[in-house]
Amino acid sequence: MKNIYKSYYLSNGEEIPVLKGVDAIIKRGEFVAIMGESGGGKSTLLNIIGCLHPVSGGEYFFENENISLAQDDYTLAYIRNMKMGFIFQSFNLISRLTALKNVALPGLFAGLSHGERLNRAKQRLTEIGLGDRMNHRPSELSGGQQQRVSIARALINNPELILADEPTGALDSKTGEEVMRIFSDLKIAGKTIVMVTHTPEIAKYADRIIFMRDGRVIDCNYKLNSTQ
Amino acid sequence: MKFEILVMAFEALFSNKTRSALSMLGIVIGVSTIILVVGIGLGAQLEIEEQYKNLSVTSILVNPVSTASSISRLSADDIEVISEKAQHVENATALTQGKLSVSYSKEEGQYTVLGVQDNFFALSNLEFASGRGISDQELKDRAKVAVLSQDLIDDLFAGNAKKAIGETVSVGGKKVEVIGVIKGSGSSVGPITFDDSIYVPYSTAEKNILGSSGSVRLIVLANSVDVIADAMDELTVILRDSHNLKSSDVDDFRARDQGSRVTAAQESAKTMSALLTAVASIVLIVSGIGIMNVMFVTVAERTKEIGVMKAIGGKKEDILTQFLMEALVLSFLAGLIGILLGEASMPFINKIEGWRVVSSLSGIVIGFSFSIFVGVFFGFYPALKASRLDPVDALRSE
Repeated sequence: MKNIYKSYYLSNGEEIPVLKGVDAIIKRGEFVAIMGESGGGKSTLLNIIGCLHPVSGGEYFFENENISLAQDDYTLAYIRNMKMGFIFQSFNLISRLTALKNVALPGLFAGLSHGERLNRAKQRLTEIGLGDRMNHRPSELSGGQQQRVSIARALINNPELILADEPTGALDSKTGEEVMRIFSDLKIAGKTIVMVTHTPEIAKYADRIIFMRDGRVIDCNYKLNSTQ
Repeated sequence: MKFEILVMAFEALFSNKTRSALSMLGIVIGVSTIILVVGIGLGAQLEIEEQYKNLSVTSILVNPVSTASSISRLSADDIEVISEKAQHVENATALTQGKLSVSYSKEEGQYTVLGVQDNFFALSNLEFASGRGISDQELKDRAKVAVLSQDLIDDLFAGNAKKAIGETVSVGGKKVEVIGVIKGSGSSVGPITFDDSIYVPYSTAEKNILGSSGSVRLIVLANSVDVIADAMDELTVILRDSHNLKSSDVDDFRARDQGSRVTAAQESAKTMSALLTAVASIVLIVSGIGIMNVMFVTVAERTKEIGVMKAIGGKKEDILTQFLMEALVLSFLAGLIGILLGEASMPFINKIEGWRVVSSLSGIVIGFSFSIFVGVFFGFYPALKASRLDPVDALRSE
């Protein structure tokens, strides 16, 4: 079972079960989209993979480690910081910080030195085509640019896994496609990507799609590419 | 890392200047009040010490009291009786006081003229800037000599004490030779201030200069603080006897001990200080609650940011440090401004008649540490709440 993530769980937040026994395996290097209707548990699943939610039952393995047992803040924060990168629908950049400082922020929690952090952040921003916008604040950037900043932030600590929650939800289709092209490049670079979306045009970029409904997985190997 | 968090705290506070400034205001006022209060307390203490420094706490001042039927019979003769009979008295001196014109060459002015005995200068702890005091012999001879104080030197001799020795000044038209100059002390006893007086031998004053117009006082030193009350009782009996008062007659003098006055003054200054410090502490606590309130609002406003921080790897500890640092920076800056404000307002307060504040390290230290304490104490709970937010809930908030 090398280099495999695996999630089994049974989750019931208080009396409302959101995930009712989800089994899924996501391999290293895969680009997986999670689709399904609203309230079907897509985001909850993503949050559990991202170590933001504890599981209420079942087991979650990340890199052969049983995360459902490691519940201490320090370990979880470390995993989120070093092994994962989050990309949100609404970008979630810190408005009073410049693009550069936003990107550098995870480096602060990783304990990188000031210079190292800024160097890496500059490098990531340049790679993603925002080398000339480093000192702009989020409010001075377009939606597509902001999302690119948040991708750069997700990448600063070189994580294995990219978690994206509706990354194109707040963007028009053209910039959305640009963002997806970046995702494809990340996949080629060997990153594992798990993305929640409800747009088939976006989901088609993924290797496979996990369909969810009412807290259960309906289909974990659906391929949009083949139907096209 | 810690420095970065400090920088971020500054940035966060700077992005909301008005709110930060307003929340600091309370602490600024609290700290400057503490500094001023400590300063005023010390000023009062110093004032009291200076006023009474020339008199030991064992001294008793006997003032004349003139009744309708008779004038006071206090005189130098009383001193002899006291030294002979009193058990609890260490030393005693008589002085006679009046106000006359004193002149030297073209300069002239009205000054207090004090006829004193030879033990006066030692008893009052007055020091000589130059020359010497009045001798026993000069007292017996009714010598025409005088000791000047600082004010007269300034007015008549342009501040040159050495030049005055040997010169002749005119006191109420009588020529006397200057034999000594005392240092300025700023002190006084009863209505007599030592710095603006001219001192002549008691006998000279009584017979030649003041005559019967002088009012006579006694300064008596008790053996120790413990026997002041006994000494005063004793003095009353001796003086009544010496003045041949009948039992129906009221005293023609009033004895007041300086020690109890010093103590009373010090006590009231202390009470005042304690009261003002309590007020300042309340101001600080209230301002602390203000800071807590502001921090809660800040945490609520930045809930989403906290969620983001957690998602990208911020530990509880990091979030706690971040917000605690903001509260600390607020209180630190407020403390500094408070110190500056307090110190800067001291000269203005000193200009007010009867007020005196003294800058002191202890005031600064107390005020500053209080502000830091308030920052940590009232900033901790909001920061703790922020650190404990559930990341998913925090991210979901708008």
